[in-house]
Amino acid sequence: MTADPLDPVIHTPARLRIVATLAALPDGASLSFTRLQDMLELTPGNLITHLRKLEDAGYLTTETTGNGRASRTSIALTRHGRAALDTYTDALRDLLGGL
Amino acid sequence: MPGTRDTDQATRADDGDGLDPREAARLVAQTKREAQRQFNLSPPWIAAVTGAVVLLAYGALWLSTRAQHPYKGPSLGVVALVYAAVAVAIAASVTVYRRATAGVSGPSVRQQQVEGVAILVSFVLGSPVLQGAMKHYAASDAIVYGVIPAAAPLIIVGTTVLGIAASKADWPQFGAALAVVITGVVAAFVGPSGAWLAAGIGLFIGLLGYAAADALRHRRVSPQV
Repeated sequence: MTADPLDPVIHTPARLRIVATLAALPDGASLSFTRLQDMLELTPGNLITHLRKLEDAGYLTTETTGNGRASRTSIALTRHGRAALDTYTDALRDLLGGL
Repeated sequence: MPGTRDTDQATRADDGDGLDPREAARLVAQTKREAQRQFNLSPPWIAAVTGAVVLLAYGALWLSTRAQHPYKGPSLGVVALVYAAVAVAIAASVTVYRRATAGVSGPSVRQQQVEGVAILVSFVLGSPVLQGAMKHYAASDAIVYGVIPAAAPLIIVGTTVLGIAASKADWPQFGAALAVVITGVVAAFVGPSGAWLAAGIGLFIGLLGYAAADALRHRRVSPQV
């Protein structure tokens, strides 16, 4: 089976879980880096790498407030990211329905 | 670090070549379900536990007043028990709320806080104000310490929640709130002692119904993808 119709930006376990987790939040809500890391049980380095790829694709935005130890990074799924997940799940349904 | 996925494992899976669509579908469904469970402000178990606590508390109020002729009101011991039960239910709800919203920010969180304040204000002010007014106009103990405190909170708080649920199109919550309002209306007409029993049973059924509907809704979300 080919995985071509599946968005390669999302089609990795870690990024799929990041996007699916953020999609469970209401529209406009953001999640702190630490809570996301706790929920996904990823190391900070891994999470940063995956977030950067998703941000480069325009699927999410990150915002850091404060300085030093008091800094807080919030991550939110963009409309483009939510639409990408919808398209991805539709593609998965088509693929699995064709089995 | 215990429970932390290995860096190499994540890097190997980074390109997604080894990710089967079936596995991807399972991962999406599982992640969504888990995230929704963690972000849920009123999980079904807390509604069910609150329902049981309310039934016990209102049952105690009914037992302590059912043999009174004329009606004088519940004993101080039972009132203290009810307040303790309410305090435990509120503490449990606040703990769940804090856990669910930890690290979450945005307009939706502010909206939920405002909704919480509206419910709290209607609960704290609604019935005591009416009781005070009734007492002021020399209404009987059956009204001041029976019908009003049993029925009024259900009608007032239920109507507040009804409006909130309608604005969010949250139909399980709307149904539960409607059941609570109807219970309050019924309780207002079954006598001062019977009002406690009717309120307890109605609240229990409403909260249990909400818990069941919410659990079903979350189970129904994305069974596959």
